[in-house]
Amino acid sequence: MATSLHFARLRKWLLSSPPAEWGIQQLRQLLLGALKQGAVPEHIAFVMDGNRRFARNNHIETIEGHNLGFEALARILEVCYKCGVKVVTIYAFSIENFKRSKYEVGALMDMAKVKLSQLAQHGELLQRYGAKLQFLGQREMIRPDVLETIDKAIALTSGNGKAILNVCAPYTSRDEITTAIRTTVIDYSKPVMPPLTRPFSETHITRNIRAQHLSPVSEEQEAIPSKSNGETNKPQQDIPEIKLDHHSATDPDTNAYTSASSSPATGSTTLPQPSTPPPSQEVLNFPDPERITASTITSHMFTADAPPLDLLIRTSGVERLSDFMLWQCHENTDIVFLDCLWPEFDLWKFLPVLVEWQWRKQREEKGESERGWKWTTKGKIA
Amino acid sequence: MSALPEQEAIAFHKNLDAHGRPLSAHEREKLLKKYLPSAPRTTTATPKMPSRKPSKRTRRKPMRAFLLNQTHVLLYTVIHTVFSIYIRLRRSYQALIARAFAVLYYHHRTPELIRKDVKALDKLPEHLSVILQFDEEDGEAGLGRLVSEVAEVAAWCACAGIPVLSVYERTGILKKYMPQTHASINATLTAYFGPGTSASSTRPQLSLRAPNLPSYSPPSTPRSSSPSSSSTTSIPTPTLTVLLLSSPDGRDTLVDLTKTLAEMSQRSKISPQDISADLIDAEISESVMGEPDLLLLFGPRVVLEGYPPWQVRLTEIFCVRDSGEGVSYQVFLRGLYRFGKAQMRFGR
Repeated sequence: MATSLHFARLRKWLLSSPPAEWGIQQLRQLLLGALKQGAVPEHIAFVMDGNRRFARNNHIETIEGHNLGFEALARILEVCYKCGVKVVTIYAFSIENFKRSKYEVGALMDMAKVKLSQLAQHGELLQRYGAKLQFLGQREMIRPDVLETIDKAIALTSGNGKAILNVCAPYTSRDEITTAIRTTVIDYSKPVMPPLTRPFSETHITRNIRAQHLSPVSEEQEAIPSKSNGETNKPQQDIPEIKLDHHSATDPDTNAYTSASSSPATGSTTLPQPSTPPPSQEVLNFPDPERITASTITSHMFTADAPPLDLLIRTSGVERLSDFMLWQCHENTDIVFLDCLWPEFDLWKFLPVLVEWQWRKQREEKGESERGWKWTTKGKIA
Repeated sequence: MSALPEQEAIAFHKNLDAHGRPLSAHEREKLLKKYLPSAPRTTTATPKMPSRKPSKRTRRKPMRAFLLNQTHVLLYTVIHTVFSIYIRLRRSYQALIARAFAVLYYHHRTPELIRKDVKALDKLPEHLSVILQFDEEDGEAGLGRLVSEVAEVAAWCACAGIPVLSVYERTGILKKYMPQTHASINATLTAYFGPGTSASSTRPQLSLRAPNLPSYSPPSTPRSSSPSSSSTTSIPTPTLTVLLLSSPDGRDTLVDLTKTLAEMSQRSKISPQDISADLIDAEISESVMGEPDLLLLFGPRVVLEGYPPWQVRLTEIFCVRDSGEGVSYQVFLRGLYRFGKAQMRFGR
């Protein structure tokens, strides 16, 4: 390890000479511009694994490893946003991580606080990237003073709409799925306005008709209720729209009705109150649970407004999802496991992954399936 | 490699300047300024933007933008040409390695050889899961191939001593052919272990099931001698459970659970607060399966294709990059080796 660090230092010295530096900077810009010519994943997720092992390997403090990891994150975010990635989701802190040493958890929280408050000082610069910060997970598990800084940073960036940075902390995917199921159940346990509570009652209408036959009323008074009847009855036949219709249409209707009911024959009738559901009805109306689909649950996930996950990258060679984005990544997401540790992750390691993704997308668009590439013949079991 | 030159990177990293004083917000901005993208047009009050730069850019813009764009397109083409050459090389290399492994390790349909191969491993997965492909275009032939792949993998598991195997196939066609699959697996087991009663003590009892379907067992067991032989040797016959999964066992099961929970909540049998990860876990693992220890993909890349999401939480996922799509013993064995060496760390 010591020799590799030594070598790295020498290389760094060579590369930090001004012309080399300028050249690299130009090359980076050129590469990113070139990448933009092809398809770019809209949503990338990262599992930032390997900070602690990096610290251990290089004999530095654990928290220093996390610190370097944060800088790697900043580099990658820059690359992502310059390429045109819309949403980046990172696994910053798992609920399970609270089981680590109190010292480390505390130091991580402190680091988050410092970095976020620094971020808040550069509000204007953040505008240039146009990234909006979001925190996904169990907020109540975060220390209150850190939470305050988080909220400040979120508020500061809330106006940006070009890109989104989702920070998952403290997060586990099972917790997210559970939360989504729970909120769906809560949604479906709310009684909806039963379709029977229209502001018109049948008895009232028949009585009104009878009244019209019995005592002739003036023409213009009669015109009002019949007109409003014709208008409002039509949309109410649409079942899903009832709730909306109901609220928007009640006021003019009842007005029209009361004016009509002021005719001498029906003056004493009481109208059903449209704003409150009638208490006499013992069966509450619930939305049909059969209408719940996978997309209903997806819309209750923390990442509901993000495009589908295109690419999930995990560093440090651990080939496991570790409770991250399970619901989002189990269909068509490309999952890539890389051997390098997170603090070592940079543009040059990220580039091959991105190019491979683009390359595959291109082939898929051309309709050339992977089958043409097979090296082993079909059906042969070696 | 950092975008910042070394000195500045150190200053930024430690948040101290060259004299060891903490940096102010203003100084930090100055450090980073040249690496940031240009300010959007709308914000006019950006400090310290060189005033001549924008005018210059607007004057030269069309030609310059065109040239830059052409450069980007050219570079993009170059990158992708180079990459497609690279990936061809990588695939040939991978195919060579696979060939070498296939020559070095071949099971010859003998349980002893497979047992020898896995003897060096400290631990084996208790529950192995594989994702297999079904070619819908191939129809009958595709189905036949799929069934024989299931049978082969099941036989390898039986030899290696893995008690539970779950087979995920997206369309779920295997569930319609349970008796045939059962017969095919049994035939393959016979081919491996031999029909005689001498080896029957190590030959595991097969049970084939699928979530929400009754488990399939043949109407009458032809091996009438097996209960007596197992009782005399007093070694319990090992069992092999093969579980057939398809995409409805993933998301749709969770949706069904949500429907049931919503219905119960509507009848106020439960309160939504009762819904916890433990409850869902208990329900899901009872109706579908528990968490597999190792998931093997025989394809060239990791795509889960709708594999049950709840259960893959901590599952080790093994896939040989750029490998062909056929099921092969060497991938199976390499997966087991990888699993045997991996250290289990919960919660990353």
